[in-house]
Amino acid sequence: MAALPLLFLSPGAEATVTDVRAGHGMLCRLAAMGIHPDSRVSVVCSDRGSLIVSVAGSRYALSRGMAMKILVNSAGGSIPCRFSK
Amino acid sequence: MKKIRIALAGNPNVGKSTIFNALTGSRQHVGNWPGVTVEKKSGYARLGEYEIEIVDLPGTYSLTAYSLDEVVARDFIVEEKPDVVVHVVDATNFERNLYLTTQLMELGVPLVMALNMADMAEKAGTMINRSSIKKFFEVPVVRTVGSKGEGLDELLRTAILESETSPHHEHAIGYGDAIERSISDLGAAIGSDPALAARYPPRWLAIRLLEGDENVKDKIRDSPAAQKILALLEQSDLDRTEAAMADRRYEVIAALLPQVCTTCVKEMNSSDIIDQVITNRYVGIPIFLALMWGAFQLTFAVATPFMTAIDELFAYCATALAESGAEPAWLMSLLGDGIIGGLGSVIIFLPNIFILLFLLSLLEDSGYLARAAFVMDRLMYAIGLPGKSFIPMLIGFGCNVPAIMATRTIEDKNDRLITILINPFMSCGARLPVFVLLAGVFFPANAGNVVFVLYVLGIVVAIASAWLFRKTLLPGRPAPFLMEMPPYRLPTFFTSVRHMWDRGYMYIRKAGGIILAGALIVWFLATFPYGVEYGSADSYAGMLGHLLQPLFAPLGFDWKIAVALLFGFIAKEIVVGSLGVLYGAGEDEETLSAALLADPSLGPVTAFALMVFVLLYMPCIAALAVIKKETGSWKWALFSVGYGIAVAYILALVIVHTVPVLSGGI
Repeated sequence: MAALPLLFLSPGAEATVTDVRAGHGMLCRLAAMGIHPDSRVSVVCSDRGSLIVSVAGSRYALSRGMAMKILVNSAGGSIPCRFSK
Repeated sequence: MKKIRIALAGNPNVGKSTIFNALTGSRQHVGNWPGVTVEKKSGYARLGEYEIEIVDLPGTYSLTAYSLDEVVARDFIVEEKPDVVVHVVDATNFERNLYLTTQLMELGVPLVMALNMADMAEKAGTMINRSSIKKFFEVPVVRTVGSKGEGLDELLRTAILESETSPHHEHAIGYGDAIERSISDLGAAIGSDPALAARYPPRWLAIRLLEGDENVKDKIRDSPAAQKILALLEQSDLDRTEAAMADRRYEVIAALLPQVCTTCVKEMNSSDIIDQVITNRYVGIPIFLALMWGAFQLTFAVATPFMTAIDELFAYCATALAESGAEPAWLMSLLGDGIIGGLGSVIIFLPNIFILLFLLSLLEDSGYLARAAFVMDRLMYAIGLPGKSFIPMLIGFGCNVPAIMATRTIEDKNDRLITILINPFMSCGARLPVFVLLAGVFFPANAGNVVFVLYVLGIVVAIASAWLFRKTLLPGRPAPFLMEMPPYRLPTFFTSVRHMWDRGYMYIRKAGGIILAGALIVWFLATFPYGVEYGSADSYAGMLGHLLQPLFAPLGFDWKIAVALLFGFIAKEIVVGSLGVLYGAGEDEETLSAALLADPSLGPVTAFALMVFVLLYMPCIAALAVIKKETGSWKWALFSVGYGIAVAYILALVIVHTVPVLSGGI
């Protein structure tokens, strides 16, 4: 259950966000877009440095630097539903 | 007649402008990418005894504004206080929209939710319980399908009803004891300035301040209570509070969501596979170039029969005019050389412009546009711009004016300024007639390829200039890339045709207005002073041309081209129009193409240099005005003129002097 940066996930992997270590403007922005602790993300593709992730049905392109600041829990793949706590 | 004002607000790309167009009968541009609307637009609708002003706002993810378009949306809601805010929500992606809902609820504005794209959500099996939303969020909900006009009357009726229901309480999210204490302390301090408290709900203001909203901080700075408020703010740990508040909102959303929507959990779908292919590291850029190349080939192939038909029509008119032998001669010359020669030579190319615009709207409506930005991100980042900047560049293929406006979505000031300054190098539809004419005459077998090369050259010069500006005038690092990728949608033929028409109509209007005027001025200059031979060196045009000609001599352009380039500043099509007028000096049946081919001073190399010059030399008047407006200074507008001329001149010079040497060496 180790936390690792979102950038390290391979395409197709799903995970739960555990922490967003961004400056405070960016934190707010990511939260408004649905990227916040406990949200489920899946990586659509990540072979160009930047990556495309899918969060709650929306798709975002993120730069590598930002993907480093979003920590995820990769073992989260077995959690069946986002709302079970 | 009662008047009310409602605002359409919501996340980007949820269909606000589609609803706006359907309600007001407007034709605002819509597309499938976030950031189509960057300015608020007003329209009117009537229902019963109500006259309703509807304001379409740019999309925003939250009430904390980062970019200029978001500031426009937020300020309108907060400062101008519309009677009702209609929160347009994408029903296919319900959960994400709720964050903004919670913020709008906190603001305490009368709120109505429009559950838009409901048909698509239902098709995907998403069931959203509208009465539960009403129960838990205390917001009336209307099911809408903007593209088909469903539910819009009910939306207006609900909005009217909501505007008359008062008072509105601020629906509160509880943030937990510690934060609530800070909120109430701040709220009390805000309350000590009655003017401030009347303007903004104190609780909302307190929450925004605790979230570190700089823009809101500016709003309280002039208040007598500012000292007290800022001192209180100093005491709290903003970074922690902000994260805790966002968490709390999501807790509330997560708790409520299962009650209103049991099927809102998304699975991976087919766009994943498409995305993996078209954004692939190796084939992403080749796919983009192939699409562009295909577009220009198609532009030629499809337009040719239309062009031939228009050409024949004008040729018929010209012949009829010449054979009628009517008097006076100057009027015949005005009609023949001025209008048919000048305007006709531009109108012939409308089919090309329309087809290009059609293909561009396919690009926008399908969802590929945002992917192209992603594909280019690595390259863009390397030269110092965020990938997002590529979107205004592609919009520039249609027209640079909306493209420069589209830069408002770019958060960083220097990123945005660079994106504005390089935009005129993206070849707009108005330059297409020049390319089609010259490429068709001098490169008949490869016209599509030549035009493709010119467009790519525009992109290359734009990117190289961005790199140069980043290294010299506007240093900095590009803001991190963060952009929504819209879902793929199959564009319908009908909508794409309508988008093509909405944009293409501008070119028709331009042809009847400024281009006609330009052609007439050139005709006037070519005809007078009275008695000189038409279009000769003794006419005003000849004098002007010969005055300018030394400047263009190193490039091999003669005086007629010099005059055409001068007037092309007004609008690039006028370059073609002026050539049409000036080359009309020959025999009556001679077409502009034949006249150009017969001109000894023009060959393939000079023609290519001329096309490159027209591609780059300066923004047209309209683009210049919008650069001035968006950068807020004449300095940058004039800079873009000077820089453009310098780049165009140098490149054209290089082409004229190196290509013959290179090809001679083979």
